[in-house]
Amino acid sequence: MKIVEKSDKKQVKKDREFKPNIVCFCCNWCSYAGADLAGVSRFQYPASIRIIRVMCSGRVEPAFILKSFKDNVDGVLVTGCHIGDCHYISGNEFTKDRFERLMKILKYLGLKDRFRLEWISASEGKKFAELVTTFTNQIKKLGPLNNI
Amino acid sequence: MIIKGKLREYLNNCYQCAMCSGICQMGRIQKYTPSRIIQLIIEGFEDRIVESGMLWDCLTCNSCLEKCPYEVNFAEIVRDARNKMLDAGIMPKIAHKGFYTLLSEIMSKENITPEKTFEWVPSGCEVSEKGNILYFVGCAPLFSYEFDESMNNAVDTLKILCKIENEPIVLLKDEKCCGHDLLWQGKIEAFKKLAIHNIKSFERSGASLIITSCAEGYRTLKIDYPSMFENFNVKVKHLVEYLYEKLKENKIKFKKEKKNTKILKLTYHDPCRLSRFLPKSFNIYEKIRYIFKELEKVGYVYNEMVHNKSNSLCCGVSCWLNCSDKAKALRYHRMLEAKDVADNLVTTCPKCEIHFRCLQNDTETVQDINVIDLSNLLENVIEVIPSQQNKEVSKK
Repeated sequence: MKIVEKSDKKQVKKDREFKPNIVCFCCNWCSYAGADLAGVSRFQYPASIRIIRVMCSGRVEPAFILKSFKDNVDGVLVTGCHIGDCHYISGNEFTKDRFERLMKILKYLGLKDRFRLEWISASEGKKFAELVTTFTNQIKKLGPLNNI
Repeated sequence: MIIKGKLREYLNNCYQCAMCSGICQMGRIQKYTPSRIIQLIIEGFEDRIVESGMLWDCLTCNSCLEKCPYEVNFAEIVRDARNKMLDAGIMPKIAHKGFYTLLSEIMSKENITPEKTFEWVPSGCEVSEKGNILYFVGCAPLFSYEFDESMNNAVDTLKILCKIENEPIVLLKDEKCCGHDLLWQGKIEAFKKLAIHNIKSFERSGASLIITSCAEGYRTLKIDYPSMFENFNVKVKHLVEYLYEKLKENKIKFKKEKKNTKILKLTYHDPCRLSRFLPKSFNIYEKIRYIFKELEKVGYVYNEMVHNKSNSLCCGVSCWLNCSDKAKALRYHRMLEAKDVADNLVTTCPKCEIHFRCLQNDTETVQDINVIDLSNLLENVIEVIPSQQNKEVSKK
């Protein structure tokens, strides 16, 4: 009896739609405000992301991204101010340089499509909602990380 | 209690002659030395040692084993204790924010298969997926994240191999990290997964000889893989061993460089993984000195540092743990020694090279010494003796 129950459960799990877990790093001054605006203006986007607020996108270390992949997160988004708009003048330029280098390594690991770096300003609520929607769809196509 | 069973027996052999404390490189700058740690563990003050995290500070350089009359393998005690410390939740401080360790850990997952690109392969080198001779590149492509020069070593080694061998060299597309860092950080399960993957892909390639240019990779493939997996019995050679044999067989020789009128003064830093970490019968440190003797014939000058061969000093960091002021002090000491006798510091361990270069960025007094890998040094100098000549000689 028990065995039958277990297999039933497995089937239910398979049938259930895959909901990706996405970690999203937002900088305090632009992207977080952008995400806020998306909420205030009631743009719809999937509830797949977990936002982590950092003071600047320059705070996000590549090790954070690797750590989340190690813990079976399906995708990682890093967002920050547009180049030239950084609250700390050049924080996002460091970010850009850093993640261009990381991209090579993610390519090597086959995780390139699960990571994206985007610039979102405080007024781009619509863009934020669209970004999350497209990224979630992309991850859905790829499937969960722990059983590729 | 963290240290149990077999390890305890190891410890009970110790009779506190404190030779290890005298030689210990961290002992000069640290309160607790190997013999003291062993005594404290035996007396039951294990908690104090574990809480202070001092076992994470060990360089695992094996200087202590070199002097120990009873062969108490302290490095192995530390390795297994680290594994148990991780289980107990006592975490280390890993350098570079744990970036490189995380990479290896991600790779150890079965569902991730790396896809290497071979853009870096120099033109004129034939590379295939199946064949006899395999070059294990290791983590050099991953280091390019921070260290731009990290690939030079691999490129030059491949050039040398292509020059000497007529057949194409095998490079694996799905090669994973050898797992050395994870093993010495005590993450033994992840290490085993990496090893199983690598052994399978070695078998698939059909190679009968694996060549590495990395000291840590050599030790791991040569000793740790066979000790854990009995079915792994492919020949492994370091570039030093390989070149030594070719020199002895009269297949290669060194030529004079006409461009360089200036005499190059060389000295060699023995990495711990190629000297103290191997059984004495391997004798790699004598083999590399034979290569330098041959180089002296074509106009190089070779000088020995004060601490050499199995007594050599440590570069200060192993398996990305604890890169601190202490480590830099050790490294500074080593570089001053090199500076006294030469202006080119040759080594065969990519990590030693990276760490020496890193110190040069910080400290002006050691900037004028040039740190190079053996493959960079030999790439232009090696000349293959054509096999036709050999045949003619045999006919006569």
